[in-house]
Amino acid sequence: MFSSIYLKTLRGYWIAILGWGIGMGLIMVELLAGVSALIATPQARADLAAMAASMAWNAEAIKADTPGGYATWKLGTFIVILGIWPLLAASRTLRGEEERSQMDVLLSTPRPRWRVAVEKVAAIWTALAMIAVIMALFAYGAALKYEPDITFGHALLFGLNLALACAVIAGVALLVSQFTHERGPAAGITGALLVAFVVVDMVHRVFPNADWFSRLSPIYYYNLSKPLIPSFGSNLGGFAVQLVLALVLTGAAIWLFVRRDVGDVVPLPGWLRRVQREAPASQALPERDWSLGSVYARSMGQIAWATFWWTIGVAAFAGWLVVVLEQMASQFQKLAATSPMFEQILQQLGGSGAGFNETLLSLMFFFMPLLLMAFAVTQVNRWAADEDDGRLEMVLATPQSRPVVMLGRFAAVTTSTVIVAVMTMVAVLVAAAIAGVSLGTGNIAAACLGIIPLALFVAAVGYLGAGWLRTAADTGLLSFLLAGWFFITFVGPELKWPDFVQKLSLFYYYGTPVLHGLNLGDIALIAVLAAAALALATVRFTRKDIAT
Amino acid sequence: MAAIIEVEKLTKSYGGKRGIIDVSFEVGEGEVFGFLGPNGAGKTTTIRILMALLRADSGVARIAGLDAWEKSVEIKKLIGYVPGEPSLDPNLTGGQILEYFANLRGGVDRAYLKSLIQRLDLDTGRKFRQYSSGNKRKVVLIQAFMHKPRVLILDEPTNGLDPLNQQEFDAMVREARNEGRTVFLSSHILSEVEKTCTRVGIIREGKIVRIGGVAEVKAIKRYEITITFGDAVPADAFKSLPGVNEVENIQDGRTVRIAMTGPADAVIKAAARYPVVSITSYEPSLEDIFLRYYEGNGHVPQSATEGARV
Repeated sequence: MFSSIYLKTLRGYWIAILGWGIGMGLIMVELLAGVSALIATPQARADLAAMAASMAWNAEAIKADTPGGYATWKLGTFIVILGIWPLLAASRTLRGEEERSQMDVLLSTPRPRWRVAVEKVAAIWTALAMIAVIMALFAYGAALKYEPDITFGHALLFGLNLALACAVIAGVALLVSQFTHERGPAAGITGALLVAFVVVDMVHRVFPNADWFSRLSPIYYYNLSKPLIPSFGSNLGGFAVQLVLALVLTGAAIWLFVRRDVGDVVPLPGWLRRVQREAPASQALPERDWSLGSVYARSMGQIAWATFWWTIGVAAFAGWLVVVLEQMASQFQKLAATSPMFEQILQQLGGSGAGFNETLLSLMFFFMPLLLMAFAVTQVNRWAADEDDGRLEMVLATPQSRPVVMLGRFAAVTTSTVIVAVMTMVAVLVAAAIAGVSLGTGNIAAACLGIIPLALFVAAVGYLGAGWLRTAADTGLLSFLLAGWFFITFVGPELKWPDFVQKLSLFYYYGTPVLHGLNLGDIALIAVLAAAALALATVRFTRKDIAT
Repeated sequence: MAAIIEVEKLTKSYGGKRGIIDVSFEVGEGEVFGFLGPNGAGKTTTIRILMALLRADSGVARIAGLDAWEKSVEIKKLIGYVPGEPSLDPNLTGGQILEYFANLRGGVDRAYLKSLIQRLDLDTGRKFRQYSSGNKRKVVLIQAFMHKPRVLILDEPTNGLDPLNQQEFDAMVREARNEGRTVFLSSHILSEVEKTCTRVGIIREGKIVRIGGVAEVKAIKRYEITITFGDAVPADAFKSLPGVNEVENIQDGRTVRIAMTGPADAVIKAAARYPVVSITSYEPSLEDIFLRYYEGNGHVPQSATEGARV
């Protein structure tokens, strides 16, 4: 495995290949198997199709009352989660190695620079292909029992479509990383672009005659193919566009990588460049810099920009949900009147006694904890990477105790989480006021602020994991946990999974605060578990050897 | 001289791999102690245990009478530290880094800090990532010295420094010694330790093999002189001279390579009797010296282990 850069790089991905491939494969099995319980009667089948159609913003509903159609619809915006691995891997592969000065050594071998980059990208693409094949195998295995119309070829095309979409995302990350000094910002920007791509693709399903706009998103071309719906099939044009995009983006990134200084970024045009001023001697030691006063202040300084962008993104998403609420509410109300199943879902959410706006918003607010938990994962990644990169060593050589260093960092993450949650609450209330939507202020506050303990629980578990695991394993495990929780809550109620299984998901404890406020007992339980995880993480950090 | 650093039977392994084994030594207050050893010998492991970055499997490490692990925060108030591979936030300027570490230490004498910046000629306005390795080393050196610590623990501190800055560093160490502060300095360069240290400890393959005064270590310092003559010169002319260990004739007998220890006076005088074309001298690596001195088979002479029990 050490005979080439390609094989050496691929060797580093085997955990991700197996983890993501098998994990996502199992989810495919659940989705394909789960629909049979939902279509027990003709009425139920019609209800399911109607509900899927009414939620077309998530994904186009085609044959949603069949296993393949249901899985395709249910996966919907799922590409955001699948895109996490390629964007992390691609932003790490060139820029990450430059950060650690490993690229200098690699480029000192008698290989042209383009070949080094091509071999590394080829390893990512191979890993994506392997993940896709594993998922396809699981999907095919489930289809043999639940929908024989899906052939192995269909399953492979499903995997190919996913792999191509992920290759495009990797290409974006690789290109963005040519303009950033560190892998973190490259991954962050690509993540934001990915969310933007999904939203742009969503637009044509919500607003009529907006197809031209959605075509600007690569995700549009991913959604053109629905191989798990045999009668719909695959769109070769969609495949081709994705392939061309992946090749162009990756090619552009490699072209820039070959021409720029190693360790530096592609120089931007003068008008885009930030002016670098030499600090005058009087300011050589910035005595009044607020961010240098303590571990906590420094940690806040480090994540200030990330907090800013996450606040903008999450608050804007929440505000957008409120703005489109009225438009969607009328469609949903009609559906609720005719579909007993949808009525039942609304009743599960407590819609019968509450205002319809709140009910619908509650449904859509399901994604908000996921976003803040994802923010927590990025902060865990930063903490673990700081130790891996040896950046804690100098801080721990000062008279700061290990608990102070760790809890200082955690306190900064807590502050940022609170800022994002509070600003989201403000955005929802302001958007509601502007759009003239009537919402209960108390419950909206509960829904936004109730996310904080959940995000902090994720962060604490991640900090605990960092006591033993390297960065990639820790954040990989955490992402997988997040995806697992999401799906338990997403499909569990429909599949009538036992209560104890649903209680394994963190989302279970969030409940439906837009409608019912917070269950203080549940939130207190999560807060206590978060505190326990943090205490254990602190004990572990206090006793462990600091990595070099 | 009271011991400020005490290490007793310190052992650390990484899984099944060797780290250090039963390492014991003491460093007196006000002493400049050189910790010598080839790469991978266990110098950094020992230092990182002293800094409470690693926890020893067994044994004791004390600084100023305090247990290095249990009382690490108190100890670090006394210490200035330069790690072997410094890694700092690449987005901060040198000035911001120094300001941050000054704050973490509860404040420093700013005039002294500025004087250190001037002495090492550091441009504090550049980001850490933009610095050369030498300038990165300067930032780390300044932060180690800026609070005038009672003990300086320096892991290969001159890596990447140019000769002028190395001289400045030597002067800073001498000043620290003159002020009664203790310096614990690791290196794999024998001549660097010779210049600055009063006593040295040598570690090899995780074990202390020798501790003593610099003069004792000089005794094992072996170097090579290559002399090219106008005509062939017999090797026997040098073999019996004091300090000469080996003599080898090369290039038709016109070039003589002499491996020796101690002063070269006798060799130079003997060579002067013949027409000399060129003369070069070089100091082999510490590993090379160790391989020869300890016969290359891991066997440590009895005299050396006795020396370690100080």
